[in-house]
Amino acid sequence: MDNNIDFKDLWKQQAVRPPNIKELLSKLKYFKRVSLRKLVITNVLLIATSAFIIFIWYFYQPEFISTKIGIILTISAMLMYLFVYNKLVGFYKTVDRTQSNSEYLQKLISIKTKQHFLQSTMLSLYFILLGSGLCLYMYEYTSRMTIFWGIFTYVVMLGWIGFTWFYLRPKEIKKEQARVNGLIAKFEAVNKQLSVNE
Amino acid sequence: MVFSTTKQLYKIIIMEFEQLYKSYWQKVFRLCMGYVNDYDIAQDMAQETFIIVWQKLHTFRNEASIGTWIFRIASNNCLRQIDKEKRFPKSELPMHITEEKHYSLEPQILFLYKCVAELPEIDRIIISLELEDVKQAEIANIVGLSEANTRVKIHRIKEKLTQKFKENGQ
Repeated sequence: MDNNIDFKDLWKQQAVRPPNIKELLSKLKYFKRVSLRKLVITNVLLIATSAFIIFIWYFYQPEFISTKIGIILTISAMLMYLFVYNKLVGFYKTVDRTQSNSEYLQKLISIKTKQHFLQSTMLSLYFILLGSGLCLYMYEYTSRMTIFWGIFTYVVMLGWIGFTWFYLRPKEIKKEQARVNGLIAKFEAVNKQLSVNE
Repeated sequence: MVFSTTKQLYKIIIMEFEQLYKSYWQKVFRLCMGYVNDYDIAQDMAQETFIIVWQKLHTFRNEASIGTWIFRIASNNCLRQIDKEKRFPKSELPMHITEEKHYSLEPQILFLYKCVAELPEIDRIIISLELEDVKQAEIANIVGLSEANTRVKIHRIKEKLTQKFKENGQ
């Protein structure tokens, strides 16, 4: 059999002592902590910012409707970002790791495809909401300035929004897409190994 | 009262898990080793597998054998490695060269693991399970192929390995 090479015997000679089970359980705690930390930080940061904005609304009682709309847009941008972010994390949690390899790969591919869509579409929407929210919000306060400073404020703000929209946003989308596309391609290639009967 | 039963239950689960850990650690490690041919990464992957086993043990419903169930988790974790490799590129140090010296196994064994790790991803999993004496029906079940396809694949992979061994003069 096997032209006299006993692969099974060779294979099983690779032995390694299992690490102490306590070490494994402590690693488990560490894993949980790290993955939770990122989730908590993002959520707390954005919720705290939103809470701060609401506090300003309550404390300073803006008079213009534009300010209020601006605040609502800004907060909804952040909430939307949080929603998508948490949803993506949830995707990975729902993957059943006890499925067969082929089902598991299909699931990974579908998650990555969703991620691809969410990241590019949502990032643009996030910038639009945040940018327009800011412009509306600032109107009440700049209207109290002299014309020069009012225009100056808007120029600086629009300059910043333009920079993020035309430079940061496409760069971020491109980077993420290259990564996700590469992964999808690789997963699909592995999945093909299951269907091609060669 | 409730507290003590929960505690007892926890003890039973720990014992059950310890049993699994003892019987499957080597097998899972070898599967990972065949997949990456890197001692340290394989050890990490085997640990990750058992972390998932621990977390999911309560969902195990006896639909498949516990072995099949563990191997599914282990092999899926191997496939997930594709994602991780991209995120954390391996260090540039030629790690497995030093490992080979360090663990001073027979060159034939090292060569076998090297050859397996060079196969396409799914083939690595299939042949590792076959060499681990997992029944072909179970391998089919783990990978998600038909039994006939699995048999053909195993045959071809073995041929490939034999060929490589011959070429290498092993």
